[in-house]
Amino acid sequence: MNTNKIQHVSSPALRLPLSPRPNPSGAGAKLEVPEAKPLTILRASKSSVTIEDTIPQDVFEQAVDQSEALNDQVREQFVVGGRLGEGTYAIVYAGYYRQNPEHRVAIKKIKLNAEFKDGIAMDAIREIKFLQELEHPNIIKLHAVFSTKDQNLSLVLEHLPYGDLEALWKNKDVAYGAADIKAWAIMLANAVWFCHANHVLHRDIKGNNILIGPDGGIKLADFGLARGFADPGRPMTNQVITRFYRPPELLYGARYYSGAVDIWSMGIVISELCIRNFLVPSNTDIEQITAIEDIFGTPTDADWPFVSTLPLYKMTFDPANIKRPRPHSWWLQTMGILGSDGIDLLRGMLTMNPLLRLDSQRVLYHPYFANAPRPTMKEMLPRAGGGLKQTAEDHVRMESERVERFERGDKVARKLDFGAMRN
Amino acid sequence: MRLTEDDLYRTSTQYKHWSFTPAQLADQRKTTNISASERVKQNVARKRAAKAFDTPTASDNGSGVDTNGANTPLRTVDREVNCLTVAEEKKLVDTFCERALELGTFLNFPTEVTATGIQFLRRFYLFNSPMTYEPQTISRTAMFFANKVEGAHLTLEKYVASFPKATAEQVLAPEYLIVQGLRFQFQVRHPFHGLKGGHLEMMEMSRGNAEPLPASEKTKEEIQEELFQLPRKPNGPAQDMTVKQLQGRMGNAYALASKILKGPAQLTDAYFLYTPSQIWLAAHLLADEPLTLFYLSTKQALDSPLLQKLLAVIRECAALLSSHHSYTSDQTSPAEKAARDKAEKEEVQKLIKKLKQCRDPDKIDLVKLNQAQKRDAVKSEDGGSGLEESKAKRRKLGREKYEKEADEFFGPELGKKNVAVDVETKGV
Repeated sequence: MNTNKIQHVSSPALRLPLSPRPNPSGAGAKLEVPEAKPLTILRASKSSVTIEDTIPQDVFEQAVDQSEALNDQVREQFVVGGRLGEGTYAIVYAGYYRQNPEHRVAIKKIKLNAEFKDGIAMDAIREIKFLQELEHPNIIKLHAVFSTKDQNLSLVLEHLPYGDLEALWKNKDVAYGAADIKAWAIMLANAVWFCHANHVLHRDIKGNNILIGPDGGIKLADFGLARGFADPGRPMTNQVITRFYRPPELLYGARYYSGAVDIWSMGIVISELCIRNFLVPSNTDIEQITAIEDIFGTPTDADWPFVSTLPLYKMTFDPANIKRPRPHSWWLQTMGILGSDGIDLLRGMLTMNPLLRLDSQRVLYHPYFANAPRPTMKEMLPRAGGGLKQTAEDHVRMESERVERFERGDKVARKLDFGAMRN
Repeated sequence: MRLTEDDLYRTSTQYKHWSFTPAQLADQRKTTNISASERVKQNVARKRAAKAFDTPTASDNGSGVDTNGANTPLRTVDREVNCLTVAEEKKLVDTFCERALELGTFLNFPTEVTATGIQFLRRFYLFNSPMTYEPQTISRTAMFFANKVEGAHLTLEKYVASFPKATAEQVLAPEYLIVQGLRFQFQVRHPFHGLKGGHLEMMEMSRGNAEPLPASEKTKEEIQEELFQLPRKPNGPAQDMTVKQLQGRMGNAYALASKILKGPAQLTDAYFLYTPSQIWLAAHLLADEPLTLFYLSTKQALDSPLLQKLLAVIRECAALLSSHHSYTSDQTSPAEKAARDKAEKEEVQKLIKKLKQCRDPDKIDLVKLNQAQKRDAVKSEDGGSGLEESKAKRRKLGREKYEKEADEFFGPELGKKNVAVDVETKGV
């Protein structure tokens, strides 16, 4: 500002020290003392000119950091459009590539969180860390990340305008069949396999984190709770995965676990697609254990060695009330649409003992996917309306839901950091 | 469907954006050095001009001789800014990486947290100069950020408490700067898991349990037998070891290699120039050459072109690792090591002194800078027209104050070992 103003003052003494020179004030060089006259004029003027302000702006611009320049370059690639939605923790904007307005994106701007005292929030760090590394057709694509002047991080994400899998099975206007379920299942299985092959646990797989792309393909999203595989012997938190999708070992308080946790969640998602309802809904963690045991039976050391040593197992275990698992006929009746091979796969994914549960590799190799009917081509999959608005709503919702459950100063988070994790 | 380690590594940001040839690395450092030097000179010039400009008013009350101050002499004689060279910058960064390593040990950080923090520092200073951003400040923040990235979860409060003189604000101020300098790529691929895996595989071989590759001509029993006879040193006499002796040898090799990975591998350009598996194999080669060569020969015939090519790279990497002054092997004498360390220390002290003379005056107080940035952003979002006078003044005063304090920047060393901070792995 005020660059023009200073140029009116035609004192050579003034111009001299102000013009940037390659190597100014060489050894012993004496600066001419500026005359006081222009100075007083300057000071007298009501404008708030300080020396700093009189330096032409381009001096700074020439001298931007390389990384700052790089960031600006990235930011320049995108045109940020209207605000699509706003949640407590993120604002989502419509956007597109400057070079190609056809190429639309969703720009998720993480809000600064005043409550989190430790700087950039963990969920933002995790999401960026893992999405930067994972490139797969069934995982949401992170086009770029940039920061804005007010130090907010913006994630440029794939534009996914057609809602999510949970909205899909809830939408009674959408009809789908066995081949469609198989198509969704194999895409999800691919995504999960890819995460695990890259040694990443997603830890929040559920219907509404699985988004539907413009080509009908599904994309696993929301890596805010993801983490790399832990070294053997290093504990992890069991306070992850949305309750309906949380596997029994986490409910029993296991602190050492594997990709098997994601497989359980995936099994629940597929079963929900079949019954178009939640398989094991509940209101509390205890209820969740009950709901699971109602279907899968109460695990004992006989069928799941050492399960009784898990920290929270004893809390619900009642020797007088050991439940038996539902018979195979129940599966045929409820999940009949999958066929017997599909039921075999599903039961493999929903095995109580995580060591016996199928891993992501074995899920993919299951004959169900090779058998008839062939999975529907993704372009032919049924879907609901969707649209730009939906994308934003999905991103905002995912963000705030997760955050409310696991992060940022609520009771759960405090427990997560200091309390339950001690032992 | 299986992804090989190579497939996985090639899709990583470490491979795509943080791997270089030596020439590329040198070029990048040169670019950074030139642009930082130019900026330092410009900003110093501006400061001096500003100072000269202010002098008359300052002397108004004092001398009273000349009310317009036209003849007031300048108090200081300006010297030419003597900027750091590329090599000096690198040396400084290396030094602060070493200090970061000490900090990690002091804080009981898990290995990968410290290692990630150090690599963040190295990556950051590929695009930024220590003249612009003071390495002690940056390393403190980089280490805290690494702690978050690796999910170790030491809270800021506890982290800050472990420094004699640091505030939460100071630690957080450069966070965005660092995140941006890392190009928002936070995953660092370390060689630790690879080493562990290789070691476990060798242990299985020693038990005669390791299934050879389909192409291999040896049976698992033959592999075990050959291991028993493996010479201790290259071209040494054949041995006749028991399983226990062999496993002891493997354990020693693992321990030494692991030490190299935690030290020299972090403190050199190894991560920029080599892949994690090349690095661990190089470390293992330094630890026990015959064992490492034998291990490789169970994967590929030793005289195959592929393995020869790989070996050349591994030896190159091993040379880099063993060139670091912290490297010790059986061959390094204590006197030799002491001499190396002493020379190192003297050089570093000189450099730190030099750095004080060529700091970018605009970037000394990152806390203020950070606040100003946020404030400006708010202003511009409001459509405001710049800063009010009082704020500008206050900021200027603050900046000057911090310039004075700049000398103290290198003052406090890392805290004494009296604050025990327990970063037991709280898992996430």
